[in-house]
Amino acid sequence: MTGDHLREVLAARAPRDWELYRKAAESRELASGPALRREVWRSERGWAARWWENGGPRFCAAATPRGLEAAIRESARTATAPADPPVWPAGTATPAQAPPLASPPDLFDELARLVSAESRGEASLTQLVVRRGVRTEGIANAAGLDVSDASQHLDGFASAIGRRGTRVCDAILLFRWDGEPDVTGLARRIADRVTLPLSDRPAPFDRGEWLLDPAVSAALLAALTPIFTGEAGIRWRPGAAGLSRRVGIVDDATADARHDGEGTPSRRVTLVADGALQGLLTDLDRARRSGAPPTGHGVRSSFRTPPQVSPRRIFFVPERTETSGELLSRVRRGIFASAVTAPVLADFASDRFEVEFTGVAVVAGRAQGPVAAARAAGRLSELLPRIAAASTDRQFFPLPHPVGAPTLLIERAAFE
Amino acid sequence: MDLDPPLVARWLDPLAKQPGEIADLFLERRTEAGIDWRDGEIVATRFTATEGLAARWRGGPREHLVSVPRADADAAREAIRSLQIALGRPALPARPGGASLEEREPELPDVARWRRRITAALTRHAPRHRFRWTLRDVFRQVIPAGAPPVSFSRRLVSLEGTFTAASRRGDEDRAFAFHAPDTDATADELKAALGAAAMPRDHAVPCGSGETDIVFGNGSAAVLFHELLSHPLESRHSILSALKDARLAVSELEVRDDPGRLDLCGGYECDDEGTRPRAVKLLDAGRLAGRLTDRADPDRGGSNGHARRAEPWDPPLVRGSNVIVAGGQVGTDEMTRRLGNGLWIEDISAGTIELASGSFRLRFPRARRVRRGRLADEVGPGVAAGDVISALKRIESGLGREVKPYRALGWCARAGQVIPVQGAAPDVLIRQLAVRPSA
Repeated sequence: MTGDHLREVLAARAPRDWELYRKAAESRELASGPALRREVWRSERGWAARWWENGGPRFCAAATPRGLEAAIRESARTATAPADPPVWPAGTATPAQAPPLASPPDLFDELARLVSAESRGEASLTQLVVRRGVRTEGIANAAGLDVSDASQHLDGFASAIGRRGTRVCDAILLFRWDGEPDVTGLARRIADRVTLPLSDRPAPFDRGEWLLDPAVSAALLAALTPIFTGEAGIRWRPGAAGLSRRVGIVDDATADARHDGEGTPSRRVTLVADGALQGLLTDLDRARRSGAPPTGHGVRSSFRTPPQVSPRRIFFVPERTETSGELLSRVRRGIFASAVTAPVLADFASDRFEVEFTGVAVVAGRAQGPVAAARAAGRLSELLPRIAAASTDRQFFPLPHPVGAPTLLIERAAFE
Repeated sequence: MDLDPPLVARWLDPLAKQPGEIADLFLERRTEAGIDWRDGEIVATRFTATEGLAARWRGGPREHLVSVPRADADAAREAIRSLQIALGRPALPARPGGASLEEREPELPDVARWRRRITAALTRHAPRHRFRWTLRDVFRQVIPAGAPPVSFSRRLVSLEGTFTAASRRGDEDRAFAFHAPDTDATADELKAALGAAAMPRDHAVPCGSGETDIVFGNGSAAVLFHELLSHPLESRHSILSALKDARLAVSELEVRDDPGRLDLCGGYECDDEGTRPRAVKLLDAGRLAGRLTDRADPDRGGSNGHARRAEPWDPPLVRGSNVIVAGGQVGTDEMTRRLGNGLWIEDISAGTIELASGSFRLRFPRARRVRRGRLADEVGPGVAAGDVISALKRIESGLGREVKPYRALGWCARAGQVIPVQGAAPDVLIRQLAVRPSA
């Protein structure tokens, strides 16, 4: 059974409203630790279909074309409420070829040495998982679309433990490298994350400037993404409240893939500029409902789930170029947040946020000592206009889509 | 082409000749039916049929796994052949003529019976809602080298989402989650749970910060012990690793991990290495009693059947299943009186633990304040936090009489692997746990 047969099956059920997606992915994963060396070779094939039958939307996915045909048949037995189908994109593109899959680098010994050095022997790496993968995705639809994309990635996670006397702290950090592995930067993040909480010192100030490491800024931006996807529950408008003029926010995945998970061409979308919300990310469904054109942000987290609107590569764009050192020198009395210690909470309905972090107290631009655990909380609508500066040291983190953030300086933050 | 277990075992046997070597083939076929309901209407459906298998070899600290996204004899041959080549062992010859193109047709679950029942329950108890209902059928087969093959299947039902309920200050949105194996009694249990969740109640006010006494009621203590005991006893690097036989809690407290409880989501008949599971006492009369193990663990006297995989391509990890806390003698009224002043928590939305330090946190969407032994106002959301050793020490003797399954707990994630888990517990009173309000 082939894709051509599945197209015929779908066209027979919904001549004008069907979409067929296929995915093939391979990855090599190397997990290393003091008493472990595990290699995992993964292979994934998947098919997915969406179609509007008798006016109602349906979705099926399967590992094989025959499985998909069986799922399509079973799905037709359950009636769904009528809903308008999206306007399907059209076009063709030259078939994409996945690059050859290489083994992931073995970085455990180097990273373990650097973590120990960065932490003066207080932190040790317990496990490193590095994964390199390639994948190709193809999409066809009733409007004549037939496109494919190929991509590759290098990511993973590291777990480490910090010890000082009887105090211990462990953590897992995710990483993603678009180019060569940044082992030194990862070692510094790991060392800070597992040694700063060992100090047992609470936040020394209840308010002040808040300097965010790129990892913390990225976690904050990832938590704010429902603002940019227009998800329900946001009762306040950032445009009305005003955003910081010191930093813009953009989503641009054009370098990663030519199309999104629905076949819409990738493009750069400016979300925040000049202190105001400039636009929202849309997939085909959101575009139909809002009347706006799709921005190419229908994302499939797996072939098993239908595409949903989501950022693909979202990042801060500083309006001025300052180094992180210059930002540090502007802190009169505040806290440098080095790593988050719990997921960032953003409650849009009640306009509240909460970030738990570990870091360093700063007075007059100089580090005063570690802060084991602190919490910044308050109103989201007040937080965003208070971003006073952003530096040039932007890094990307998998959260799970790539989120790029530099060091940020936020004024008048409240700490607990 | 269907799998021939004796033939696959013959292919695997040469890979596990040396002492300490493990080789196995793991296969999974999974079908899922999902229905999205909005205010009584079915607005979307999703049906999926996936399959895959993996051949694995482990020898001491080295492990190698090769997965193939099909589940038939050719896929098994391909996975084992790739594994042999990766290990530098003599490999099976490639199949003459390449892999067979014949594909097996999956059997998808019939949703008609459940669709009628869910529609009726939602109409009666929660007419304004956004729910996703899922029915999962999973078939798993493990063919270990040097041991008989085993297989089992499970069918799990989930209903998750939000609905609009009446509170004494007007309507409010409430979250609801229910996970259970599909049995004759599940629909009635779901209906009762939904009815209880939709009961009118007061508007919640923010809870204060500080240490307070807490009763974890209605089975929610299963989440507490899942974090306090199950996770630390899965790991060799946790705060409990060096405390063998230590007395950590009152002698009345008995906690076990029991995969044999097939009425709970975490149950299974054999683990993902093919071992028949045993119930493991985690706390016996308040003392640390046992740990969870897999076949690869050299120090712990063999596997007790807790190797679990989320997907066919994942290596098995030591994981918990169903946390069961033995009941005591105290009724609900007496428990409220013993609490005196504090919080009564029945819903926990998330839990985490740091294994090395043992610090944990539990997020609760709402709780009931208790004053002078009487239920008072609603508070929340908030976070209860502490460390494992202190929290276990602060559990009061006098556990609740009735042991209830906690159906809102259905899944647990660790190292990116999400597996079904559950638990059952009586009401449990803990003194002086730190609580603070949360966003």
